[in-house]
Amino acid sequence: MNLNILIAGVGGQGNLFASSILAEYFINQGHEVLAVETIGAAQRGGSVVSHLRISDDEIYSPLIPAGKVDIILGFETLEMLRNFQMLAADGRYLLNDYQEPTVLCNMEMDTYPTDESIAAALKKSGKKGYLIKATECAREIGDSLLTNVVMVGALCQLSPLLNRQEVKQVLAGKSPVKVREPNLKAFDAGGALVKSAMGQP
Amino acid sequence: MAKKEYLMGNEAMGRGAVEKGVKVVAGYPGTPASEVLEYAAKYADVRVEWCINEKVALEIALGASLCHTRAMAVMKHNGTNVALDFLMHLNYTGVRGGLVLISGDDPGGNSSQNEEDSRIITHLDAHLPVFDPWCPQEAKDMVRAAFELSEKTELCFIVRPVMRVCHARSQVSLEEITGNGKEPFFTDDRSRFIMSAVKEPEAGGVLRPVIRHRWLNKKQPELLQIMEDSPFNHVEKGEGNIGLVACGIGYAYVREAEKILGKKFPVLKLGTLPLPGDKVAGFAHRMNKLVVYEDSEPIVEGMLKELFYDRDIKVEIVGRSGFLPMEGELSTGIVLKSLAALYPELEKSVPRTAPLEIKIPVRTRTQCVGCAYRGLLHALKLMARKTHGVVTGDIGCYDAGSFLPLELQSTIYCMGSSIPMATGVAYSGTKQPVFSIIGDSTFFHNGVLGLINAIHNAVDMVAIVCDNRTTAMTGFQPHPGSDTDITGRPAVAIDIAKLATAAGATSARTVNPYNIAEVAGALEKAAKEKGVSVIIASSPCYLLGRRNGDIGFTPRKVSLNPDLCNGCKICIEYFGCPAIHFSNKKATIDQAACVECGMCVAVCQRGAIT
Repeated sequence: MNLNILIAGVGGQGNLFASSILAEYFINQGHEVLAVETIGAAQRGGSVVSHLRISDDEIYSPLIPAGKVDIILGFETLEMLRNFQMLAADGRYLLNDYQEPTVLCNMEMDTYPTDESIAAALKKSGKKGYLIKATECAREIGDSLLTNVVMVGALCQLSPLLNRQEVKQVLAGKSPVKVREPNLKAFDAGGALVKSAMGQP
Repeated sequence: MAKKEYLMGNEAMGRGAVEKGVKVVAGYPGTPASEVLEYAAKYADVRVEWCINEKVALEIALGASLCHTRAMAVMKHNGTNVALDFLMHLNYTGVRGGLVLISGDDPGGNSSQNEEDSRIITHLDAHLPVFDPWCPQEAKDMVRAAFELSEKTELCFIVRPVMRVCHARSQVSLEEITGNGKEPFFTDDRSRFIMSAVKEPEAGGVLRPVIRHRWLNKKQPELLQIMEDSPFNHVEKGEGNIGLVACGIGYAYVREAEKILGKKFPVLKLGTLPLPGDKVAGFAHRMNKLVVYEDSEPIVEGMLKELFYDRDIKVEIVGRSGFLPMEGELSTGIVLKSLAALYPELEKSVPRTAPLEIKIPVRTRTQCVGCAYRGLLHALKLMARKTHGVVTGDIGCYDAGSFLPLELQSTIYCMGSSIPMATGVAYSGTKQPVFSIIGDSTFFHNGVLGLINAIHNAVDMVAIVCDNRTTAMTGFQPHPGSDTDITGRPAVAIDIAKLATAAGATSARTVNPYNIAEVAGALEKAAKEKGVSVIIASSPCYLLGRRNGDIGFTPRKVSLNPDLCNGCKICIEYFGCPAIHFSNKKATIDQAACVECGMCVAVCQRGAIT
């Protein structure tokens, strides 16, 4: 098996926790895992990208080569668009419908792309994917910080390479007691979002 | 089977040191190397310390080594510059207990002010051996080997991982924790450890620096033999007579490219400096061209050219002196592109990428929502624009004030340069008032010297210290102003205001940066004073405070009345909180992003925010 997952978001969205759950799951399954995060100097609000590579052979580069990403998880819209060209020809995306404006957009020195232009560009790319309201769902459960877990739950529904129950066990094991219940709830909610996006009951 | 653990490269290096019985680990925080030290701090019998700066860290490490204790110093490449003065002496004296210096490089300048290659100062300048790992496992193996070899050769060994190795995570083998079996004890050897221009009677009056330099030079053949036998260098057979020289992380990208292309090229994998001359020559003899992949300066490339000239080997050598990009970090994409240039038939196997047909705005760095420094920067920008003042900056979170929207600081160079540069601006003869702004950790690191110099020389300036009680940008490490150390043990917190007062500053005012009026008042007073006026803007880092239940403000919900907003944008261009958005000529508050610090209420001059 070879699987390259890229998680694109902004600082504070729990990008690293999501990557660590998936990594532990795949290690438990006996696969090789190589991961790396790219973080700027900012603690919060800057772009954060996690590369997660899974294989049965030795993996060399921690960064996924351009054009080799199988699945891109967009925690934030702009950050997914920025990394979209990393996708393989048959790569898929899972985008959280959440937009964090940039400083320059706030100053009207730059323009955040409109929903219409984003939809048009994604359509023109010919890539398959889903748009889900993960942050909204996380807020409904109680905290927007659960977005990452909603997205992991969604990914498990999307990809047959992940066993939902076993990923959930890893999540339970890695969650501090205080947030275990909300995390598990968020995980299930993420699965339900993808199910309904796929038009499944 | 050996036990494995999923570790980050930095943690793997920390683990390697612990396995080899390291007893003292000293460093200064800096991306990409910080977690090495944090890993070692989990072991109670290791003395682990965030030091005031990297030079002090290396000095502490050598002190321990001279007592036959294994020690390690950890820093990023900029810090290795700070430690260089000491390094250029310890190379002559040598070590006793194994001494390893980890110098984390940041090719591409992802989290740094430059993209310097620290192999130059550590190997070409200091003539010390350098290991350059390609993955977390090798980084750990290299740290382990470095301790053994350091004791064997009496030389400090450098491990120089690049950011992608420091931050990569993979399954790493764990081994037993051992030591060098030596009891710590200091014995004199003044002919080594007194580095001075003294004439050696036993050597016919030759000066000691020459004798010690000779000692270091005599070590080089021994190092060459070690590298010749090292498991970190090897040859892989492949098709064609273009040899790929894969150094450090370059090996990861070369092997990845081979995998994508489905081809095997002749590869010389290198992980050491000095180079294994015979192994390199043996490889080159069968080639008519070598491509050297290294991050980031063409160092191995240059060393190969020198080696082949001496050995009369005729082979074309290309690499980062122009054939490959001369700036930025290496990648699989760069290797693929270079191979397609050498073998045009491979072009079709290079993965295609197509950017989306949409303009994607750049995300620049700014202060966090809720950061106390935003209030300080706001007041300082108003003051600086009003007085046409010059603001010199320094390294830390507050440096984001130099970018849009604030564009406040006019200079940023390296740790501690803000106050001396402000001094120079004042000396230039300009009539512009001078302000400098520096963070607490940076102030202790190197800024305090510039401050004392300015006070001593009665320079007219305002020196602002941003005191959030932590080294926030690199992940909340303690510094000499903190009351606990890395392990949570109580530490003596140095009071910056008392320090400035004792040094003779005209004034030292501590203000609450969340209180914009208070900061503005202090700036007004300080700017009118003669000599150096110090302002300490003191409040806990919001992110850390939220974690510890110690934030610097009482939360208050704010709202914006659109009828009162006249679209003046002071809240954007002079404050720039990411929770304030602007569209259709009006500001709005993003309540989901707002953390209720309430500072913006004082920013709006029309009373639209309440």
